[in-house]
Amino acid sequence: MTMRLRAGLLAAAFAAFAPAAMAQQGTLRVGMAAQDMGRLDPHYAVSTIDRVPMPWMFNGLVRFPPGSIDASAIEPDLAERWESSADGRTWTFHLRRGVRFHGNYGELTADDVVFSLRKAANPQTSAFSGDFRAIQTVEAVDPYTVRIVLQENVPNLLGILTNYAGGFIVSRRAVEERGEEFKRAPIGTGPFALDRITPNQSAEFVANAGYFRGAPQIPRISYRFIPSDASRDLAFQNSELDMNYGRADQTWVTRVRRQQGVTVDVFEPAELAIIHLNVTQPPFDDIRVRQAIAHAVNRPELVRWRGPDTSREGQSVVPRGYQGFSADNGLLPHDVARARALLAEAGHPNGITVRVIHTQLPEMLAAMQVLQQQLRRAGITLDLQVVEHATFHQQIRQNLSPLVYYSAARFPIADIYLTQFFHSRSIVGTPTAVTNFSHCGMADAEIDAARVSTDRAEQARLWAEAQRKLVGAVCGVPLIETLLVFARHDNVDYGYQLRGSMSLGPQITEASRLR
Amino acid sequence: MIWFVAKRLLAAVPTLVAVLTVVFIIVRIVPGDPALVILGDQATAEATEALRARLGTDRPMLVQYWSFVTNALTGDFGSSLVTGRPIIEEVGAVLPHTIDLTLASMVLGVVVGVPVGIWAALRRNGAVDIAARLLSLLGLSFPVFVSGIYLLLLFGLHWRLFPVIGNADLSDFGDRLHKVVLPAVALGLTMAAYITRVTRSAMLHSLGEDYIRTARAKGVPWRRVVWVHGLRNASLPVVTVVGLYVGILIGNSVLTEIVFNRPGLGKIIVGALNQRDYTMLQGLMVIYCFLIVVVNLVTDLLYGVMDPRVKQA
Repeated sequence: MTMRLRAGLLAAAFAAFAPAAMAQQGTLRVGMAAQDMGRLDPHYAVSTIDRVPMPWMFNGLVRFPPGSIDASAIEPDLAERWESSADGRTWTFHLRRGVRFHGNYGELTADDVVFSLRKAANPQTSAFSGDFRAIQTVEAVDPYTVRIVLQENVPNLLGILTNYAGGFIVSRRAVEERGEEFKRAPIGTGPFALDRITPNQSAEFVANAGYFRGAPQIPRISYRFIPSDASRDLAFQNSELDMNYGRADQTWVTRVRRQQGVTVDVFEPAELAIIHLNVTQPPFDDIRVRQAIAHAVNRPELVRWRGPDTSREGQSVVPRGYQGFSADNGLLPHDVARARALLAEAGHPNGITVRVIHTQLPEMLAAMQVLQQQLRRAGITLDLQVVEHATFHQQIRQNLSPLVYYSAARFPIADIYLTQFFHSRSIVGTPTAVTNFSHCGMADAEIDAARVSTDRAEQARLWAEAQRKLVGAVCGVPLIETLLVFARHDNVDYGYQLRGSMSLGPQITEASRLR
Repeated sequence: MIWFVAKRLLAAVPTLVAVLTVVFIIVRIVPGDPALVILGDQATAEATEALRARLGTDRPMLVQYWSFVTNALTGDFGSSLVTGRPIIEEVGAVLPHTIDLTLASMVLGVVVGVPVGIWAALRRNGAVDIAARLLSLLGLSFPVFVSGIYLLLLFGLHWRLFPVIGNADLSDFGDRLHKVVLPAVALGLTMAAYITRVTRSAMLHSLGEDYIRTARAKGVPWRRVVWVHGLRNASLPVVTVVGLYVGILIGNSVLTEIVFNRPGLGKIIVGALNQRDYTMLQGLMVIYCFLIVVVNLVTDLLYGVMDPRVKQA
C-alpha cells in the first residue's frame, strides 16, 4: 500500500466520522466556562453557570423584559396583574390561567406560588432567604390569587419576585415527590425543560411545547461545560458552539469581534470591584491611611488595563445604574503626592506594608497586581498572600485580611448592595454576617430608613446620604466596574436586544431562534 | 495464581484505609467550606449554619470519619456535597472516558516507544539514536496544554479532521474512537518519549550481556537475538515503567481532559478539591486507589509472563 493511499484512507475514515460529530441541526450549543453545574434547584443557583439556565426553565410572578435589568420596567410573568394596598404592605397577585408545569405536573396554582415563596424564604431550603426578610405572610386567596403581606416596606417588592434568585416558582408536587432528587431533576414552567445532565459534560434542555407564551422556536439547547478558555474559543471558532461565554478583557473582545459572522454582546449587570478597608484594624483604623489608599488608586488606568469596551470606572460604593446610585459622594481623586503626605501625617513617612489575603483566580489576581503597583507608587506595599479561591472566601470572613478586594453584582437597587456590604448587621464574623468586610455601620440609619420609605424622593436622598457617609469615611474604595460578555454566531437571534440579564447570561426565550 | 491475586488484594486493604484516612484529614484541615461554595456570598450566617448541619460537616471529625468508613465498607460512598448526585453515578459517568484515554495513550506509548527504543539501542550513538534521544527529550519537555492546543489548531481548526469538543457518546464506538485520537496522541507521545528512553537503556544493558554473545556465537539470527533474547530480558524495566505510568495517567490526565474537553477522573478530582466537596474527594480516592492496586497487580502478573524466573510466590 503506498503512502498516498494510506493517507487517503485515513482522511476518508475521519471524514466519515466528522459530519456526525459536527452537525447538530436545531440544537443551540452554548459553551460555558465551568466544569459542572451545581444544584439545579433555582433557590440554590448562586454561581454564574447555575444562574444562566434558570430563566430557561423557570418563571417568576413578574419578570424583567428579556434583555433588560431595568427595575422600573418589570412586567407580568406568571402573574397577569397585581395591586397593592395604600400603605404598600399588602400585595395581591392574580395568576395567569392555564400555565402548565413541565412533564405531568399539572397546572400552576396559587398553592405552588405560596410553596415556592415560602421555600425561598426559608434558610433551610434556600440560599436567598435573606431577600425575603420583610415578608410576613404569603397565602393563597383562591387557586389563582396570592396575597403577600409585608411586615415593613421594602424598596421594590416586585424586584424580589422577578425571574431571578428566590423569585423562581417551582412545582410543589415535584419538590415533594422528588425530595432531594429535585435538585437534579427540577420542574418549572419555563420555555425549556431539563432533559438530562451528564456530569462534567453538559446539560441538555428540550423545548416546552406547552409554554404559555407559545412553543419555543429552538427545539433543544445543549449547555456545555468547557473550563478551558482556549479550548472553548477554538470550539466556537470551529462552529462547534453557537454561543460562547466571553472574557471581560479587551484583547479577547477585539479578537473575537474580528471573526466573521460573530457578534460580541457586552451587557449589564456590571460587577463593581471595591477594596474594603477594615476600619477597626490597624493601619486602617486611621482615616488618613484610608484616604491615602483612596488617593493612590488610579481608576482611569484600571479601565485602560481592562479595556474600555468591557469596563468603566467605579464611582461610588454602589454600582452605576442601580436605583439609588449617587455619584455626588465626595470620592477622592487620584493624587499620589497627597497620598504620601497623608501617610506621613499618620506617622508613616516611609510608607506602610499591609499583609493582604487574595485569591489565585486569574482575573481577580491580575486586577490586584495592577492595584498593587498603583499603591506602591504612593509608598503602600501590599504583601499579597495568594490562596486558593475557597480558602480566600473563608479567610476574609474570619477578618484575616484588613484589606479585601471584592467584586460583585447584585439586584440593581442600592439597598441590597449597601445592606450586604456596609450595614453593621452584615459585618463578617457576626451571627447575621453577610459581606461587610469594612466593619462600617455609620450609614445604618439612612440604609434602614431608605428601605422602608414610601416617598421615592426621600428614599433617593437617604441612599445618596448613605453613600456620602461611606465614601467620606473611606470604608471602601470603588475601583472598576466590569460588564458581562457573551459571543454568538450570527445564526443565533435572541429575539430581543441584549442590554442586560440578571441571570448573567442571555435568556433563551420562545422568540429566540437559530437562523 | 488465584491465591496470589487474593493475597495481593487483601494486602491492599491497609493501604486503602491509610490513604483514605490521610485524605479524610487533609481535606478537612485545608481551609474552605463547602457550605459557602454551595450557598454563595449572599447567604446569611443562619442559612450557612443550616446547610452545614444538613451536610453533616458541622459534626465532630471522628463522627464524620466513622460514618464515612462504615458506609464505604458497604459500598456506599454517599453523594456529592455540591451537586447532590451519588458519587458512584458521577464516577460511572466519567470512568469509561478515563479508561479509553488511558488505554489509548498506553498503547500508543508502547507501540511507538518500544520499537524506537530498540532501534536507538541498536544504533547506539548513530544518527537514529541521537534523533530518538532528542525527540524523546522534546516529548518529555512539551507540556500537554501546549501540544494539545497545537494539535487542536492543526487537526481541529485547520484540517477539520477532529472535533475540538472531545466528550464522546459512550454508546457510539466510532465516536469514542474518533474523539480519543488527539488526546491520546498528546498524552501518549509523552509516554512514548519516556518508554523510548527506558527501552533504549534496558536494551543497551541487555545487549551487552553474555547470553547475547553466546546466542550470536551459536549462530542465532540477529533478529531473533534482538527480539527474543534481548527484548525479553529488557522487558522487566519497561513493564515496570508502563505500570507506573498508567497509574499516573489515570489521575494526572487532568490537563489533557481540560484542553480536549473530555470528562474524566482527573478533572473531577480537581473540581472536587476546588469546591471542597469532601465526600466526592473521599469516594474518588477509594476508586483511584483501587485502580492503582489493580494496575500494580497486573504489572506483577506480567512479570511472571515476561520472565519465568520471577516467581509469583
